[in-house]
Formats: sequence, C-alpha cells, structure tokens
Amino acid sequence: MSLDIKVPAVGESITEVTIYKWLKQDGEFVEMDEPLAELESDKATFELNAETSGKLIHKASEGDTLSVGDLICSIDDSASNGKSNTSDKKEETAKEDKTESSKKTSGQTKTGKIIEMKVPSVGESISEVTIATWTKKSGDIVVLDEVIAEIESDKATFELTAEGQGILEIVAESGTTLGIGDLICRIEELEGDLEGSDEVPHAPEETGSSTTRHDISSYATGHASPAAAKILAEKGISAKEVKGTGVDGRITKEDALKAVKKEEKPTAPADKKQEVPATPKGERDEKREKMTQLRKTISRRLVAVKNETAMLTTFNEVDMKPVMDIRSRYKESFKDKYEVNLGFMSFFVKAVCVALQDWPAVNAKIDGEEIVYHQYCDISIAVSTPRGLVVPVIRNAEQMSFDEIEKEIIRLATRARDNKLSIDEMQGGTFTITNGGVFGSMMSTPIINAPQSGILGMHNIVERPIAINGEVVIRPMMYVALSYDHRIIDGRESVSFLVRIKQLLEDPTRLLLGV
Amino acid sequence: MNYDVIVIGSGPGGYVAAIRAAQLGMKTALVERYNSLGGTCLNVGCIPSKAMLDSSEHYHNAAHSFKEHGIELSNLKVNLKQMVKRKGDVVKQTVEGIQFLMKKNKIDVFYGHGSFQSNSKVNITLNEGGEKSLEFKNAIIATGSKPASLPFIKIDKKRIITSTEALELKEVPKHMIVIGGGVIGMELGSVYARLGSKVSIVEYMDSIIPTMDRTMGKELQRALRKHDMDFYLSHKVTAVEAKGKEVTVKAENPKGEEVEWKGDYCLVSVGRKPYTEGLGLENTSVKTDDKGRVIVDEHLKTGADNIYAIGDVIKGAMLAHKAEEEGIYVAETLAGQKPHINYLLIPGVVYTWPEVASVGYTEEELKDKKIAYNKGSFPFKASGRARASMDLDGQVKVLADKETDEILGVHIIGPRAADMIAEAVVAMEYRASAEDIARMSHAHPTFTEALKEACLAASGNRALHI
Repeated sequence: MSLDIKVPAVGESITEVTIYKWLKQDGEFVEMDEPLAELESDKATFELNAETSGKLIHKASEGDTLSVGDLICSIDDSASNGKSNTSDKKEETAKEDKTESSKKTSGQTKTGKIIEMKVPSVGESISEVTIATWTKKSGDIVVLDEVIAEIESDKATFELTAEGQGILEIVAESGTTLGIGDLICRIEELEGDLEGSDEVPHAPEETGSSTTRHDISSYATGHASPAAAKILAEKGISAKEVKGTGVDGRITKEDALKAVKKEEKPTAPADKKQEVPATPKGERDEKREKMTQLRKTISRRLVAVKNETAMLTTFNEVDMKPVMDIRSRYKESFKDKYEVNLGFMSFFVKAVCVALQDWPAVNAKIDGEEIVYHQYCDISIAVSTPRGLVVPVIRNAEQMSFDEIEKEIIRLATRARDNKLSIDEMQGGTFTITNGGVFGSMMSTPIINAPQSGILGMHNIVERPIAINGEVVIRPMMYVALSYDHRIIDGRESVSFLVRIKQLLEDPTRLLLGV
Repeated sequence: MNYDVIVIGSGPGGYVAAIRAAQLGMKTALVERYNSLGGTCLNVGCIPSKAMLDSSEHYHNAAHSFKEHGIELSNLKVNLKQMVKRKGDVVKQTVEGIQFLMKKNKIDVFYGHGSFQSNSKVNITLNEGGEKSLEFKNAIIATGSKPASLPFIKIDKKRIITSTEALELKEVPKHMIVIGGGVIGMELGSVYARLGSKVSIVEYMDSIIPTMDRTMGKELQRALRKHDMDFYLSHKVTAVEAKGKEVTVKAENPKGEEVEWKGDYCLVSVGRKPYTEGLGLENTSVKTDDKGRVIVDEHLKTGADNIYAIGDVIKGAMLAHKAEEEGIYVAETLAGQKPHINYLLIPGVVYTWPEVASVGYTEEELKDKKIAYNKGSFPFKASGRARASMDLDGQVKVLADKETDEILGVHIIGPRAADMIAEAVVAMEYRASAEDIARMSHAHPTFTEALKEACLAASGNRALHI
C-alpha cells in the first residue's frame, strides 16, 4: 500500500513551501528516515524525510510551491525489500545495552557443543598445577585464544587461553590444585561473529554513579582543562589520580596546581589518598601476607632437594685478571662486530662446558636406579625477576661461540623479566650456573637445581692481596662454589671439576686450544 | 654566534615560536628570506586577503544593500588602486608590528636565505650582501608553503596567476576563471565577484570547500550564486592557455564532454605545497616525504634530535593558527614543559561572506566512524540580529553525541562565523554538552544566539525560535 506524504506544518506563520531539490528520484527505493527532498520556506530550509521504506513516487516537481497539507509524494511500501536499516539500528543498540552477553547472544546461536578444557601437560616433572586467578567469570562470553585464567606450576605461571568461543563455565575455582588432565572449565560453544568483549564506546562512559553527596558524574568527569592537563603532565601526575572540582568533576587549573604526587608527603593532611601504609605507629604490629602459589611451590621443592640429595659444597678462588684483561682489550671490537657486550658469563659457560666434558659425573642425573650421563651441555642460568627466581636453559652450550652465548643469555633474561618464558625453555638443563656476585655475595652455598647434580656459584669480584711467585700482588679475585650431589659425584670429581674451571678461567688460552 | 634556538621562517609559526622561546629565556634568532617579516600570512595570505575581502564587501553592500538601508549613492565606483594601496598599508603596519615584537623580545633577526650546513650550523646568505654562519642548540623549520599548480599549467603571473598576484591586480577582471574551489579560490573569487567581475569556479570534486562538512559547501554555493558566481563542479581541467589579454581554460565535464571558458584572468588555487628549497636539508638528518613535507614525529621532531618543524611545511591543515599552536608547542617542549595540541579542535575558517567556520567532526566523519549523533540546526533567517543586518544566509549546525549529548562538531555558515566558532572551541575543550551551551545566557540580540538555538535543537529538539 502507498503512504501519502504531505507538506508538514513547519511553523506558525508559514503557509507555503517550495521544493528546492529532490534528493531521491522518482521510482527510487528509499529507507525510512532518509532525506527525500529539500524544502524551502521563507524562514528556513529543511529536509523532508521518508516516513517509511519503499518506492518513492513524486507528486510535485522541483521549483513547485505547495501549501501546508498538499501532497508532495508517496511511498509504496508493498515493494519493501525487507532489509531494514541495520546500520542505524546498530548505532542505537550499540551503546544502550550495557550487558554485553544479552546483546551478543541475541545474534549468535548455540551449536550444542560443549568444549571441555582440561589441564594440559606442561612439563616433564610437573604433575599438578594450581589455578591462580580467573580473568573471566562464569557466564562471560569468551572468544578463541582469549586469555581466561592464570595457572601456576612449580616452575612457572602461564596463561590459559580459551579453546573455542562461547559461554564460559568455571569448574575449578581459583586456588584449586589440579592434576594433569583434570577438568578446568567448560565452554558452551556459540557460532557467529563474536567481537572481543572488551569493546569500549568511543567516549569513556561514566554510568552516573550518583553518590550521596551532591556531586554528579558524567562522561566528562575527570577531564582536565587544557591548562590543567599541561600542569599535570609536567608534574608527572595522571589525571586519574586527581579529583576534579569543576563541573561534573572536571579537573580545573586549580585542581592541577594543588595536585601532589601520592608518595611525596607522608605527613600530608588526612584527606589525601594514602595507599602505601606509612611507618607503623607502634613497633609490635605484625604484617601478614598470604604466600603465593609460586612461593609455596618453590619452598616445597627447595626442602625436597635438601632432603633427597646428599648435598655439599666445595670452594675455590679464581684470579679474574686474565679474563678482565681480555674483556677490556676486545670489548669494543666485540661490541662492534656482534652488537652485544662481552660479559663474564660467556667465559664461565665455556669453561663449564669444557670441565663437564672432563668430569661427566657432574653433568649427570639420577633417574630411578640409573645414572643418566648427558652427552651435551644444557646450561641453566639463574635469573632474578620481580616475580622470583627463574632458570632458563641455554641448549647445547658446548657448541656455541662467545657471542652466541651472550646473545642467548640476553634473549632469555629479557623473556624472563617480561614473564614470557615457556615451560620448555626452563626444563631439561643438565647443570646450573648462578651468580650471587651481582648482589654482592662473597661466598655462598647454592642449592642444587633438581634433578641436576651440580650447580656452580659465581660471586663478587674483589681486589685483594695474593701471593704470586713469592710476591704480594693485588688481583681481582672471585670465590667460586660448587654444590654437588655426593650420591653420584665424589670428592675427587667435584674438587677437580672446580680446579679445572679455575685453570680455564685463569688461562683463557686453554679455552682456545682445548687443553 | 651560538643560539639556543634558531627559527627559519618568520610566518605565524616562526615568529610565534621565536617570541615564546624568548619569553622562556632562550637566546633566539629568526631568519627570514624576504625583507619583510610575517611570511605568507602577513604578506600575501591571511592579512591582505582579509583587507581586500572587507573592502570589497563594503563596495558590494554599497552597490546592493545600501539602498534598502536608506542610503542613496550616486557615482559609485571601484578604485582598485586605492583598495590595493590600503591593503598594502595594512600589511606594512602589521609587519612593523612584528618587527617591534622582535625587538621587544630581544630576538636577533637575520634577513637572508638560511641553509643548514649540519645538524648544528646554519649559513645565511644575507640580503644586504655577505654571509653569516650561526651555530644552534636547536632549530625550528618554519619555511611554510607556496602555491601549487597542475603539471600542465604554466603560471605566467600576468594572466595565469596565483593568490599572490590576485592581491595585486591593476584592474578588476571582466571574467575571472578560478581553478580550485577550496578556501583560497572561494575567498579571492568572492573579492572580485563583489567588485563586479564575472567569476567561474571550476572544481574537481563534487562540492566546493570539499574537506569541510558537506552542508557548508552546499549553503556557501547557494549564497554565492547571488553574487554572479558560476560553479562548475566535478570538472577536470585539461588545459590553460594565455594569449595576449585572453585566457582560455578547457575542462572535461562530468559527462566527459570538453567545455571551455574564456576570460581575462585565470586564478590557479589548487592548493599549496611545502617549501624547503635551498634549505640545505641534505646536510642534516632531516627527511622529507614524497609530497615534500618535512617528516616529524608526534613531538614535531625531525630526523635530527635537535631540529623541529612546524606549520605548512609539515603535514596537517595549512592554517596560520595551527602553525602558531605548533610554534608554541615546540618552544615550550624545548623549555622542558609538556604542552599538548588537540588537532581535532583547531577550527577551520573560510572568509567569504557569509563566513564559514567549523570545529570538530563533520557529519560525514561521524557516519564513517559509526558514531551515533543528534543534529541540531538553526538558520540565520530566523535570527533577529541577522534580520536587522540583512545577513540572512546560512545556519549553525551542532552535532552532539546521541547518548551523552557531548558536542562532537559545530559548523557555522553565516555572519561572523569565524568569531563565533571560538565559543564552540572553548565548549569542546571542556567537553561541554549541547545542553550546557543551551543553558548559558547569550546576549540578545547577537549572532551567537543562533549557536544556542542550534544546541537546543541538538540536545532536546526544542529550539525556541524556529
């Protein structure tokens, strides 16, 4: 049927309008609300919009003057081709609906398939893991490969990613310890195009948290005025930390001038937000902190090593002058050629690889009733990260050159600090080197990194007097320590191993010649 | 001689950067190629064109609307020589004003062509003769732009001219053909249309001032048609030839047919291109892109750590006030401050009459970004103040976020639009909503009330006076 469109009443004193221009042609298909024509009155020009969708039929021409109420055109909506104006609708619904799941599931359908996610096998000696935190909750829509939880094992923490898209159902809550193969969660699969559920509308929205006080918040709450923004940037204070006293909580210049970085004044007046607890008032207070899963696991393992191995430590000292001389002589050209610094570690790793080949028991491990002698040197390097100690492995170090070792150490250390090390990168080492010297340690007894049998500890290099050829000279000396498992390494082997290390480092030419 | 900052180019970007740097305590030098400070803006751009626009507007009013006002004239004629002389005086006084500011701020000015010798040295071939070498801690390139052309057009500066020559004509053209319906073409075309020339605007795109909100181009075209300006949109110019006192312009119309116009002058206003000739950039780490613009990062720093670039010579809108903001930004950054430029809130203006001014998003941009918005407009036909001054063309259009009512764009065509837009810029810097503006008192009777009404329409569909 056809809908007649007449000249609307556009203003009190207006009796007639002129059709200035048709925007849609006669016979053209128009959508609802689309502008059809421009009409002019003596007060204004305005657009005539389609009141429905359908085929437009002109009833008057450009230039015609019509009175209010005259027929301008009609729209035949029997020929409506059914595709409603989806783009307009999307604009309207896109931000009105706050609960994303209802918006999205209305458009997607369940496939009927339930994906069961089980604990994957994460490493040789790992038999169980703990769910540290869930980043999604039951009922949330997740998409393929989205991070949904953090899982901790005794070696590392890793991210659990969704194996499909759909509605998440958590089975194991955070804090639960699971065995390999146990069920973690389920995903009720949905098909269709799911957008990431972190979609944000273009303007930051404050959902009007009206408090009991009379301040109202709006989308502009926390917006700093131009001068305020500059002042805060120069003070190094984020606008988020400042409470705005302007309209709807906007941050004024005054707010910015008064803003102080949180840590600055411990004796600041009480209304400043203090997150860091200041010095305790009395000295009898306690501070309790729950142990993280990682810490619990590490403690368990360290105690186990001490109980299960016959661990003891032997010491020696190394004159580091020859190595330091080489470093100062070739530092520049090494850096120029390889774009990496020549550190101490490459010397130690090379020396260790040679010594391990001479004393294979140090490069072995006990597996049940067998001793496994590794025919290669996978050297674990202890790296300190904000989360704790991690020990990535340099594979086949016996085949690497100095520059390759240095580069690999940097690569692994960076990944360690960024918390990106994978389980594989931390497993399977045959011997460990740890360096307490960076923290100033003179001498220590490192703990073996199970299931290995030996660990070399490097320490602080200190200039002290020693006797050489009957004379007192000052040399940069380092104490080295080898903790070893006496079950398969005896005294002769451990001491000789360490002496060999000393020999190789004090005469690095031996590394070149292999003697 | 060693300076903390050397600024190359004394246009609105350069001289403002120099003043700000001096205010912040830096030892500053300014190098200017021509013997007059102020760059394109003061000498052959903003200022002289506004002078000519005002003069020609007065003439047009005298010729067409004075009678209605009850002012009778006889013997009305154009004295172009005097008009151009007055323009020259305006320019001279403005330039002298800048010279005074340089002295006041103790900025050393060198008149000559500057050329970088390295990332820390610039050589100046002085206009008065001789050379001078200066060393600098930091430099700011503010060399601006020059009129661009099309490859087949030979600008002879006599009949086939650019904006520079258009401000120095010795006679009012009988028929001026303007190639390029952008801001400059529209402004200078208006000047001569008002003085009685027949003006034909030939534009490649399907709208004049195509980069602005479409409503503006449409309304401007409608308003200017009354001035005897003809518009040929979606036309592609293919040849321009001058023979004696006649110019012939050939183009392809949208149907693909060849059309031709004959006039006595042809103004080529197809854009401007950045200018770095002879600047010696090859001796520095500064790089330019394929359009000749100096490449800068988000802090306006070039490939050299201590050399910055601002204004028309880098990317972005070629506007004097954009260059000014950038000049201040760089000076303050060098002083260790942390300024910020919000490029979205730099207003664009066309100084025709009616004026066009806008800030923020256009309707087309909001549609592209799929941002839901409400629109409110108010025509000047319904403004009491506009009726009193007989400036009935144009409207104010406000675009506000559909959900929050935050003002996303304001587009004004009408009397004093260039001044009115400032209120919109302030509002948007404070992220005001349309209703906020609608609830502020605007003096009556003023043109700015139209903005208030448009905000009423946008936020609550409740304009009072329409």
